[in-house]
Amino acid sequence: MQNFDFLGDDGLVDALLMEAADLMQDFISYGRAGSIDLLGLPLSASCLAALEARLGQGEVAATVSISGESQTRETAIHGLWWTRHADETGRVVALLIEVAAVPEILRADREDMARGLRRLRGLTNFRLARPAS
Amino acid sequence: MSAADATLGEMLGKSGFSRRGLLKFSIAMTASLALPPGVASAMAANLAQARRQSVIWLSFQECTGCLETLLRTSSPTIAALIFDYISLDYQEALMSAAGSAAELTLRQAVAANRGKYLLAIDGSVPVADGGVYSLTGGQANVSMLQQFAPDAAAILAIGTCAAYGGIPKAYPNPTGAVGVEDVITNKPIVNIPGCPPVPEVLSGVLVYFVSFGRLPDLDDRKRPLAYFGTTIHDQCYRRPFYDQGKFAKSFDDEGARQGWCLFELGCKGPTTHNACASLKWNDNTSFPIESGHGCLGCSEPDFWDQEGGFYTSLAGGKGPGWEDTGIAAAGGIAVGAAAAFAARHKTAKPPQGPQK
Repeated sequence: MQNFDFLGDDGLVDALLMEAADLMQDFISYGRAGSIDLLGLPLSASCLAALEARLGQGEVAATVSISGESQTRETAIHGLWWTRHADETGRVVALLIEVAAVPEILRADREDMARGLRRLRGLTNFRLARPAS
Repeated sequence: MSAADATLGEMLGKSGFSRRGLLKFSIAMTASLALPPGVASAMAANLAQARRQSVIWLSFQECTGCLETLLRTSSPTIAALIFDYISLDYQEALMSAAGSAAELTLRQAVAANRGKYLLAIDGSVPVADGGVYSLTGGQANVSMLQQFAPDAAAILAIGTCAAYGGIPKAYPNPTGAVGVEDVITNKPIVNIPGCPPVPEVLSGVLVYFVSFGRLPDLDDRKRPLAYFGTTIHDQCYRRPFYDQGKFAKSFDDEGARQGWCLFELGCKGPTTHNACASLKWNDNTSFPIESGHGCLGCSEPDFWDQEGGFYTSLAGGKGPGWEDTGIAAAGGIAVGAAAAFAARHKTAKPPQGPQK
Protein backbone atom coordinates (compact mmCIF):
# COMPACT_ATOMS: atom_id res chain seq x y z
CA MET A 1 0.00 0.00 0.00
CA GLN A 2 1.22 3.48 -0.75
CA ASN A 3 1.76 6.00 2.00
CA PHE A 4 1.36 9.71 2.31
CA ASP A 5 4.85 10.44 3.62
CA PHE A 6 5.39 13.11 0.99
CA LEU A 7 2.54 15.10 2.52
CA GLY A 8 4.23 15.12 5.89
CA ASP A 9 3.16 13.29 9.01
CA ASP A 10 1.88 16.40 10.73
CA GLY A 11 -0.79 17.05 8.12
CA LEU A 12 -2.09 13.48 8.25
CA VAL A 13 -2.05 13.41 12.02
CA ASP A 14 -3.98 16.67 12.12
CA ALA A 15 -6.59 15.26 9.72
CA LEU A 16 -7.03 12.13 11.81
CA LEU A 17 -7.31 14.15 15.00
CA MET A 18 -10.03 16.23 13.40
CA GLU A 19 -11.91 13.06 12.47
CA ALA A 20 -11.49 11.74 16.01
CA ALA A 21 -12.80 15.05 17.34
CA ASP A 22 -15.90 14.70 15.15
CA LEU A 23 -16.46 11.20 16.54
CA MET A 24 -16.11 12.47 20.09
CA GLN A 25 -18.57 15.27 19.46
CA ASP A 26 -20.98 12.69 18.03
CA PHE A 27 -20.61 10.54 21.15
CA ILE A 28 -21.07 13.46 23.50
CA SER A 29 -24.13 14.72 21.62
CA TYR A 30 -25.85 11.45 20.74
CA GLY A 31 -24.09 8.67 22.63
CA ARG A 32 -22.94 6.98 19.44
CA ALA A 33 -19.65 5.14 19.68
CA GLY A 34 -17.35 5.37 16.67
CA SER A 35 -13.98 4.26 15.44
CA ILE A 36 -11.34 4.86 12.79
CA ASP A 37 -9.70 1.90 11.04
CA LEU A 38 -6.05 2.91 10.86
CA LEU A 39 -4.95 -0.22 9.00
CA GLY A 40 -7.30 0.68 6.17
CA LEU A 41 -5.51 3.98 5.65
CA PRO A 42 -2.23 4.32 3.77
CA LEU A 43 -0.30 5.51 6.81
CA SER A 44 3.43 5.06 7.25
CA ALA A 45 4.92 3.69 10.44
CA SER A 46 6.28 7.12 11.28
CA CYS A 47 2.85 8.69 10.87
CA LEU A 48 1.26 6.10 13.14
CA ALA A 49 3.96 6.68 15.71
CA ALA A 50 3.43 10.43 15.51
CA LEU A 51 -0.32 9.99 15.92
CA GLU A 52 0.11 7.67 18.87
CA ALA A 53 2.56 10.07 20.50
CA ARG A 54 0.30 13.07 19.93
CA LEU A 55 -2.63 11.31 21.61
CA GLY A 56 -0.56 10.42 24.65
CA GLN A 57 -1.13 7.95 27.45
CA GLY A 58 -4.24 7.88 29.62
CA GLU A 59 -5.37 6.16 32.78
CA VAL A 60 -6.52 2.75 31.55
CA ALA A 61 -4.82 -0.09 29.71
CA ALA A 62 -6.12 -3.61 29.20
CA THR A 63 -5.14 -6.80 27.38
CA VAL A 64 -7.71 -9.27 26.06
CA SER A 65 -6.28 -12.71 25.42
CA ILE A 66 -8.45 -14.52 22.92
CA SER A 67 -7.45 -15.62 19.43
CA GLY A 68 -4.23 -13.71 20.00
CA GLU A 69 -3.76 -10.59 22.08
CA SER A 70 -5.82 -7.43 21.87
CA GLN A 71 -4.50 -4.40 23.64
CA THR A 72 -6.55 -1.32 24.27
CA ARG A 73 -5.55 1.73 26.23
CA GLU A 74 -7.11 5.06 26.86
CA THR A 75 -5.20 7.94 25.38
CA ALA A 76 -4.67 11.19 27.23
CA ILE A 77 -8.13 12.09 25.90
CA HIS A 78 -10.82 10.52 28.08
CA GLY A 79 -12.99 8.18 26.04
CA LEU A 80 -10.53 8.03 23.13
CA TRP A 81 -8.95 4.61 22.92
CA TRP A 82 -6.04 3.16 20.97
CA THR A 83 -6.84 -0.49 20.24
CA ARG A 84 -4.62 -3.04 18.57
CA HIS A 85 -5.89 -6.53 17.70
CA ALA A 86 -3.37 -9.25 16.84
CA ASP A 87 -4.04 -12.84 15.80
CA GLU A 88 -2.41 -15.98 17.20
CA THR A 89 0.65 -15.42 15.02
CA GLY A 90 1.11 -11.89 16.33
CA ARG A 91 -0.01 -10.30 13.06
CA VAL A 92 -1.97 -7.10 13.62
CA VAL A 93 -5.44 -7.65 12.13
CA ALA A 94 -6.97 -4.35 13.20
CA LEU A 95 -5.68 -1.06 14.58
CA LEU A 96 -8.38 1.30 15.72
CA ILE A 97 -8.95 4.64 17.31
CA GLU A 98 -12.16 4.13 19.25
CA VAL A 99 -14.47 6.65 20.83
CA ALA A 100 -16.52 5.02 23.58
CA ALA A 101 -17.02 5.05 27.31
CA VAL A 102 -15.56 1.55 27.28
CA PRO A 103 -14.30 -0.29 24.17
CA GLU A 104 -16.76 -3.00 23.26
CA ILE A 105 -14.06 -5.67 23.30
CA LEU A 106 -13.82 -5.19 27.09
CA ARG A 107 -17.50 -5.55 27.85
CA ALA A 108 -18.65 -8.89 29.21
CA ASP A 109 -21.54 -10.43 27.30
CA ARG A 110 -24.65 -11.41 29.27
CA GLU A 111 -24.75 -14.92 27.81
CA ASP A 112 -21.08 -15.39 28.61
CA MET A 113 -21.87 -14.17 32.11
CA ALA A 114 -24.71 -16.68 32.39
CA ARG A 115 -22.27 -19.46 31.51
CA GLY A 116 -19.85 -17.97 34.01
CA LEU A 117 -22.49 -18.00 36.71
CA ARG A 118 -23.01 -21.72 36.20
CA ARG A 119 -19.27 -22.26 36.55
CA LEU A 120 -19.17 -20.03 39.61
CA ARG A 121 -21.85 -22.03 41.31
CA GLY A 122 -19.88 -25.15 40.57
CA LEU A 123 -16.82 -23.73 42.29
CA THR A 124 -18.41 -23.52 45.72
CA ASN A 125 -19.01 -26.27 48.23
CA PHE A 126 -22.35 -24.68 49.05
CA ARG A 127 -25.46 -25.01 47.01
CA LEU A 128 -26.25 -21.37 46.30
CA ALA A 129 -29.83 -20.38 46.08
CA ARG A 130 -30.90 -19.74 42.47
CA PRO A 131 -32.90 -16.63 41.81
CA ALA A 132 -36.58 -17.16 41.19
CA SER A 133 -37.24 -17.26 37.47
CA MET B 1 -30.86 -29.53 19.96
CA SER B 2 -28.97 -30.80 16.96
CA ALA B 3 -25.86 -29.12 15.64
CA ALA B 4 -27.84 -28.02 12.61
CA ASP B 5 -30.41 -26.24 14.79
CA ALA B 6 -27.91 -24.52 17.07
CA THR B 7 -26.87 -20.97 16.35
CA LEU B 8 -23.22 -20.18 15.89
CA GLY B 9 -23.29 -18.25 19.14
CA GLU B 10 -24.57 -21.29 20.99
CA MET B 11 -22.03 -23.57 19.35
CA LEU B 12 -19.16 -21.25 20.09
CA GLY B 13 -20.32 -20.74 23.67
CA LYS B 14 -20.34 -24.50 24.26
CA SER B 15 -16.78 -24.72 23.01
CA GLY B 16 -15.67 -21.98 25.39
CA PHE B 17 -15.41 -19.28 22.75
CA SER B 18 -16.72 -16.03 24.21
CA ARG B 19 -18.61 -13.26 22.46
CA ARG B 20 -15.48 -11.19 22.81
CA GLY B 21 -13.80 -13.70 20.54
CA LEU B 22 -16.62 -13.44 18.04
CA LEU B 23 -16.42 -9.65 18.18
CA LYS B 24 -12.68 -9.76 17.62
CA PHE B 25 -13.14 -12.10 14.67
CA SER B 26 -15.73 -9.69 13.28
CA ILE B 27 -13.43 -6.72 13.76
CA ALA B 28 -10.71 -8.51 11.80
CA MET B 29 -13.14 -9.54 9.05
CA THR B 30 -14.57 -6.03 8.86
CA ALA B 31 -11.08 -4.67 8.33
CA SER B 32 -10.38 -7.36 5.75
CA LEU B 33 -13.58 -6.55 3.87
CA ALA B 34 -12.83 -2.81 4.04
CA LEU B 35 -16.14 -2.21 5.79
CA PRO B 36 -16.52 0.64 8.27
CA PRO B 37 -15.31 -0.58 11.67
CA GLY B 38 -18.69 0.19 13.21
CA VAL B 39 -20.16 -2.72 11.24
CA ALA B 40 -18.20 -5.21 13.37
CA SER B 41 -20.73 -5.20 16.20
CA ALA B 42 -23.61 -5.91 13.83
CA MET B 43 -21.59 -8.62 12.12
CA ALA B 44 -20.83 -10.27 15.46
CA ALA B 45 -24.49 -10.10 16.49
CA ASN B 46 -25.63 -11.56 13.17
CA LEU B 47 -23.02 -14.31 13.29
CA ALA B 48 -24.08 -15.23 16.82
CA GLN B 49 -27.67 -15.74 15.61
CA ALA B 50 -26.78 -17.45 12.34
CA ARG B 51 -26.88 -21.15 11.70
CA ARG B 52 -24.11 -23.00 9.93
CA GLN B 53 -24.14 -22.28 6.24
CA SER B 54 -24.33 -25.33 4.02
CA VAL B 55 -21.59 -25.40 1.39
CA ILE B 56 -21.51 -27.99 -1.35
CA TRP B 57 -18.14 -28.02 -3.07
CA LEU B 58 -17.72 -29.61 -6.48
CA SER B 59 -14.29 -30.05 -8.06
CA PHE B 60 -14.16 -30.05 -11.84
CA GLN B 61 -11.21 -29.74 -14.21
CA GLU B 62 -8.65 -28.67 -11.61
CA CYS B 63 -5.32 -29.48 -9.96
CA THR B 64 -6.53 -29.34 -6.32
CA GLY B 65 -4.19 -26.39 -5.78
CA CYS B 66 -7.07 -24.15 -4.77
CA LEU B 67 -8.26 -26.57 -2.11
CA GLU B 68 -4.69 -27.17 -0.95
CA THR B 69 -4.00 -23.50 -0.42
CA LEU B 70 -7.26 -22.99 1.43
CA LEU B 71 -6.72 -25.90 3.77
CA ARG B 72 -2.98 -25.82 4.25
CA THR B 73 -2.85 -22.25 5.34
CA SER B 74 -1.89 -22.02 8.99
CA SER B 75 -4.32 -19.15 9.41
CA PRO B 76 -6.64 -20.11 12.25
CA THR B 77 -9.37 -18.15 10.56
CA ILE B 78 -9.78 -20.75 7.86
CA ALA B 79 -9.93 -23.66 10.26
CA ALA B 80 -12.47 -21.81 12.36
CA LEU B 81 -14.39 -20.99 9.26
CA ILE B 82 -14.50 -24.52 7.94
CA PHE B 83 -15.46 -26.09 11.22
CA ASP B 84 -17.47 -23.42 12.96
CA TYR B 85 -19.10 -21.18 10.43
CA ILE B 86 -19.98 -23.42 7.54
CA SER B 87 -21.19 -26.92 7.10
CA LEU B 88 -19.09 -28.38 4.34
CA ASP B 89 -21.63 -30.97 3.31
CA TYR B 90 -19.85 -32.31 0.27
CA GLN B 91 -16.23 -32.15 -0.86
CA GLU B 92 -14.84 -35.19 -2.63
CA ALA B 93 -11.22 -34.78 -1.58
CA LEU B 94 -12.01 -34.27 2.09
CA MET B 95 -15.00 -36.50 2.79
CA SER B 96 -14.58 -40.08 3.86
CA ALA B 97 -17.42 -41.41 1.75
CA ALA B 98 -16.62 -42.63 -1.75
CA GLY B 99 -18.42 -44.09 -4.74
CA SER B 100 -22.17 -44.45 -4.53
CA ALA B 101 -22.11 -43.44 -0.84
CA ALA B 102 -20.56 -40.09 -1.83
CA GLU B 103 -23.16 -39.58 -4.55
CA LEU B 104 -25.90 -40.29 -2.03
CA THR B 105 -24.34 -37.76 0.36
CA LEU B 106 -24.40 -35.13 -2.36
CA ARG B 107 -28.05 -35.69 -3.15
CA GLN B 108 -29.03 -35.73 0.50
CA ALA B 109 -27.14 -32.48 1.13
CA VAL B 110 -28.90 -30.83 -1.79
CA ALA B 111 -32.31 -32.07 -0.67
CA ALA B 112 -31.76 -30.90 2.90
CA ASN B 113 -30.60 -27.42 1.89
CA ARG B 114 -32.52 -26.76 -1.29
CA GLY B 115 -32.38 -23.09 -2.19
CA LYS B 116 -30.04 -22.30 0.69
CA TYR B 117 -26.67 -23.86 0.01
CA LEU B 118 -23.67 -22.16 -1.45
CA LEU B 119 -22.31 -24.07 -4.40
CA ALA B 120 -18.52 -23.81 -4.45
CA ILE B 121 -16.78 -24.79 -7.66
CA ASP B 122 -13.08 -25.18 -8.29
CA GLY B 123 -11.79 -26.07 -11.71
CA SER B 124 -12.96 -25.11 -15.16
CA VAL B 125 -15.94 -26.63 -16.90
CA PRO B 126 -15.05 -28.57 -20.07
CA VAL B 127 -17.90 -28.37 -22.54
CA ALA B 128 -16.36 -29.77 -25.73
CA ASP B 129 -17.76 -33.07 -26.98
CA GLY B 130 -20.53 -33.08 -24.43
CA GLY B 131 -18.17 -32.45 -21.56
CA VAL B 132 -16.63 -35.93 -21.63
CA TYR B 133 -13.18 -34.68 -20.66
CA SER B 134 -14.00 -34.47 -16.96
CA LEU B 135 -16.50 -36.77 -15.29
CA THR B 136 -17.44 -37.55 -11.71
CA GLY B 137 -19.22 -40.82 -11.16
CA GLY B 138 -19.78 -40.97 -14.90
CA GLN B 139 -21.52 -37.60 -14.98
CA ALA B 140 -19.98 -34.73 -16.93
CA ASN B 141 -18.99 -31.69 -14.88
CA VAL B 142 -21.12 -29.42 -17.01
CA SER B 143 -24.11 -31.66 -16.37
CA MET B 144 -23.47 -31.61 -12.61
CA LEU B 145 -23.20 -27.84 -12.65
CA GLN B 146 -26.47 -27.54 -14.52
CA GLN B 147 -28.10 -29.98 -12.12
CA PHE B 148 -26.99 -28.45 -8.83
CA ALA B 149 -26.80 -24.74 -9.64
CA PRO B 150 -30.58 -24.09 -9.76
CA ASP B 151 -31.06 -25.04 -6.09
CA ALA B 152 -28.11 -23.00 -4.83
CA ALA B 153 -28.49 -19.64 -3.13
CA ALA B 154 -25.34 -18.48 -4.89
CA ILE B 155 -22.26 -19.89 -6.56
CA LEU B 156 -18.66 -19.32 -5.54
CA ALA B 157 -16.27 -19.83 -8.45
CA ILE B 158 -13.02 -20.50 -6.60
CA GLY B 159 -9.79 -20.03 -8.49
CA THR B 160 -9.10 -18.69 -11.96
CA CYS B 161 -10.15 -21.95 -13.63
CA ALA B 162 -13.66 -21.85 -12.17
CA ALA B 163 -13.90 -18.10 -12.71
CA TYR B 164 -12.59 -17.77 -16.25
CA GLY B 165 -11.44 -21.17 -17.49
CA GLY B 166 -7.86 -20.68 -16.30
CA ILE B 167 -5.02 -22.86 -17.52
CA PRO B 168 -7.28 -25.57 -19.00
CA LYS B 169 -8.68 -22.85 -21.25
CA ALA B 170 -5.20 -21.92 -22.51
CA TYR B 171 -4.69 -22.21 -26.26
CA PRO B 172 -5.61 -24.48 -27.94
CA ASN B 173 -8.10 -25.38 -25.19
CA PRO B 174 -8.74 -28.95 -26.36
CA THR B 175 -11.45 -29.62 -23.79
CA GLY B 176 -13.45 -26.48 -24.47
CA ALA B 177 -12.84 -25.28 -20.91
CA VAL B 178 -14.91 -22.32 -19.71
CA GLY B 179 -15.68 -20.63 -16.43
CA VAL B 180 -18.81 -21.21 -14.37
CA GLU B 181 -20.40 -17.94 -15.49
CA ASP B 182 -20.23 -19.13 -19.10
CA VAL B 183 -22.56 -22.00 -18.21
CA ILE B 184 -24.77 -20.55 -15.48
CA THR B 185 -26.22 -17.15 -16.20
CA ASN B 186 -29.20 -16.89 -13.88
CA LYS B 187 -27.63 -17.24 -10.44
CA PRO B 188 -25.60 -14.87 -8.27
CA ILE B 189 -21.96 -15.78 -8.86
CA VAL B 190 -18.88 -14.59 -7.02
CA ASN B 191 -15.60 -15.09 -8.81
CA ILE B 192 -12.63 -15.55 -6.49
CA PRO B 193 -9.85 -15.86 -9.05
CA GLY B 194 -6.20 -16.56 -8.45
CA CYS B 195 -3.94 -19.47 -9.17
CA PRO B 196 -4.42 -20.22 -6.36
CA PRO B 197 -6.79 -17.68 -4.80
CA VAL B 198 -5.89 -15.81 -1.62
CA PRO B 199 -7.51 -17.83 1.21
CA GLU B 200 -8.63 -14.78 3.15
CA VAL B 201 -10.78 -13.68 0.23
CA LEU B 202 -12.86 -16.86 0.42
CA SER B 203 -13.23 -16.56 4.17
CA GLY B 204 -14.23 -12.92 3.80
CA VAL B 205 -16.92 -13.75 1.25
CA LEU B 206 -18.28 -16.63 3.32
CA VAL B 207 -18.40 -14.62 6.53
CA TYR B 208 -20.07 -11.73 4.74
CA PHE B 209 -22.73 -14.04 3.34
CA VAL B 210 -23.35 -15.74 6.67
CA SER B 211 -23.46 -12.39 8.47
CA PHE B 212 -25.65 -10.38 6.13
CA GLY B 213 -27.42 -12.95 3.96
CA ARG B 214 -26.14 -11.46 0.75
CA LEU B 215 -23.02 -11.40 -1.34
CA PRO B 216 -20.54 -8.56 -0.99
CA ASP B 217 -20.30 -5.85 -3.63
CA LEU B 218 -18.68 -7.13 -6.81
CA ASP B 219 -16.80 -5.55 -9.69
CA ASP B 220 -17.67 -5.98 -13.35
CA ARG B 221 -15.95 -9.36 -13.37
CA LYS B 222 -17.97 -10.54 -10.38
CA ARG B 223 -15.02 -10.27 -8.01
CA PRO B 224 -15.43 -8.92 -4.45
CA LEU B 225 -14.58 -5.24 -4.65
CA ALA B 226 -13.00 -5.18 -1.21
CA TYR B 227 -10.24 -7.47 -2.44
CA PHE B 228 -10.12 -6.81 -6.17
CA GLY B 229 -10.88 -3.09 -6.25
CA THR B 230 -7.26 -2.08 -6.73
CA THR B 231 -4.40 -3.47 -8.75
CA ILE B 232 -1.36 -5.22 -7.34
CA HIS B 233 0.59 -2.26 -8.68
CA ASP B 234 -1.37 0.28 -6.65
CA GLN B 235 -0.66 -1.58 -3.43
CA CYS B 236 2.90 -2.64 -4.21
CA TYR B 237 5.75 -1.50 -1.99
CA ARG B 238 7.88 -1.19 -5.18
CA ARG B 239 5.42 1.29 -6.67
CA PRO B 240 7.36 4.44 -5.64
CA PHE B 241 10.29 3.20 -7.73
CA TYR B 242 8.01 2.81 -10.75
CA ASP B 243 7.00 6.42 -10.29
CA GLN B 244 10.66 7.41 -10.10
CA GLY B 245 11.52 5.41 -13.22
CA LYS B 246 13.78 2.98 -11.37
CA PHE B 247 13.51 -0.53 -12.81
CA ALA B 248 15.32 -3.80 -12.17
CA LYS B 249 17.02 -4.94 -15.38
CA SER B 250 17.41 -8.60 -14.46
CA PHE B 251 16.23 -10.88 -11.71
CA ASP B 252 18.09 -10.34 -8.45
CA ASP B 253 20.25 -7.52 -9.79
CA GLU B 254 21.20 -4.69 -7.47
CA GLY B 255 18.11 -2.69 -8.41
CA ALA B 256 15.83 -5.62 -7.72
CA ARG B 257 17.44 -6.06 -4.32
CA GLN B 258 16.95 -2.38 -3.61
CA GLY B 259 13.24 -2.83 -4.21
CA TRP B 260 13.12 -1.29 -7.66
CA CYS B 261 10.12 -1.97 -9.84
CA LEU B 262 9.95 -5.28 -11.78
CA PHE B 263 7.93 -3.79 -14.64
CA GLU B 264 10.63 -4.35 -17.26
CA LEU B 265 10.93 -7.98 -16.18
CA GLY B 266 7.33 -8.57 -17.16
CA CYS B 267 5.47 -7.83 -13.95
CA LYS B 268 1.73 -7.74 -14.63
CA GLY B 269 0.92 -5.90 -11.41
CA PRO B 270 -0.39 -2.79 -13.21
CA THR B 271 -3.18 -4.76 -14.90
CA THR B 272 -3.87 -7.34 -12.22
CA HIS B 273 -6.54 -6.95 -9.60
CA ASN B 274 -5.96 -8.96 -6.45
CA ALA B 275 -5.12 -8.62 -2.77
CA CYS B 276 -1.71 -10.36 -2.79
CA ALA B 277 0.22 -7.17 -2.04
CA SER B 278 -1.86 -6.34 1.02
CA LEU B 279 -2.89 -9.71 2.46
CA LYS B 280 0.22 -11.50 1.19
CA TRP B 281 0.75 -15.25 1.58
CA ASN B 282 1.89 -17.70 4.23
CA ASP B 283 0.69 -15.75 7.24
CA ASN B 284 1.44 -12.37 5.74
CA THR B 285 5.05 -13.39 5.04
CA SER B 286 5.51 -12.32 1.44
CA PHE B 287 4.06 -12.33 -2.06
CA PRO B 288 5.70 -13.04 -5.43
CA ILE B 289 6.90 -9.48 -6.09
CA GLU B 290 8.39 -9.28 -2.62
CA SER B 291 10.22 -12.51 -3.40
CA GLY B 292 11.74 -10.94 -6.50
CA HIS B 293 9.46 -12.23 -9.27
CA GLY B 294 6.99 -10.17 -11.18
CA CYS B 295 3.26 -10.77 -10.89
CA LEU B 296 1.99 -13.25 -13.50
CA GLY B 297 -1.48 -11.78 -13.47
CA CYS B 298 -2.95 -15.12 -12.45
CA SER B 299 -6.25 -13.67 -11.25
CA GLU B 300 -7.09 -12.15 -14.63
CA PRO B 301 -8.87 -13.91 -17.49
CA ASP B 302 -6.64 -15.65 -20.06
CA PHE B 303 -3.50 -14.89 -18.08
CA TRP B 304 -1.71 -17.90 -19.56
CA ASP B 305 -2.13 -16.64 -23.12
CA GLN B 306 -1.34 -12.98 -22.59
CA GLU B 307 0.53 -11.32 -25.41
CA GLY B 308 4.29 -11.47 -25.04
CA GLY B 309 4.26 -14.03 -22.25
CA PHE B 310 5.20 -13.67 -18.63
CA TYR B 311 8.59 -12.04 -19.12
CA THR B 312 7.76 -9.29 -21.60
CA SER B 313 6.81 -5.97 -20.07
CA LEU B 314 3.35 -4.55 -20.56
CA ALA B 315 5.00 -1.83 -22.63
CA GLY B 316 6.28 -4.43 -25.08
CA GLY B 317 9.67 -5.11 -23.58
CA LYS B 318 10.61 -1.64 -22.47
CA GLY B 319 10.06 0.57 -19.47
CA PRO B 320 7.02 2.80 -19.47
CA GLY B 321 8.85 5.82 -20.86
CA TRP B 322 9.62 7.78 -17.75
CA GLU B 323 12.56 9.80 -19.04
CA ASP B 324 11.08 12.97 -17.58
CA THR B 325 10.52 11.61 -14.16
CA GLY B 326 12.24 14.40 -12.26
CA ILE B 327 9.17 16.49 -11.57
CA ALA B 328 6.65 13.81 -12.35
CA ALA B 329 7.92 11.44 -9.70
CA ALA B 330 6.48 13.21 -6.66
CA GLY B 331 3.21 13.83 -8.45
CA GLY B 332 3.09 10.22 -9.55
CA ILE B 333 3.51 8.98 -6.05
CA ALA B 334 0.82 11.36 -4.90
CA VAL B 335 -1.60 10.16 -7.53
CA GLY B 336 -0.79 6.52 -6.83
CA ALA B 337 -1.22 6.87 -3.12
CA ALA B 338 -4.42 8.82 -3.43
CA ALA B 339 -5.79 6.35 -5.96
CA ALA B 340 -5.01 3.39 -3.73
CA PHE B 341 -6.56 5.14 -0.75
CA ALA B 342 -9.66 6.18 -2.64
CA ALA B 343 -10.13 2.79 -4.27
CA ARG B 344 -9.82 0.94 -1.00
CA HIS B 345 -12.42 3.12 0.62
CA LYS B 346 -14.90 3.38 -2.17
CA THR B 347 -14.95 -0.33 -2.78
CA ALA B 348 -16.86 -1.56 0.19
CA LYS B 349 -20.10 -0.22 1.56
CA PRO B 350 -21.95 -1.22 4.68
CA PRO B 351 -24.39 -4.01 3.90
CA GLN B 352 -27.89 -2.76 3.20
CA GLY B 353 -29.86 -5.89 3.92
CA PRO B 354 -30.53 -9.38 2.63
CA GLN B 355 -30.58 -9.92 -1.08
CA LYS B 356 -31.71 -13.49 -1.09
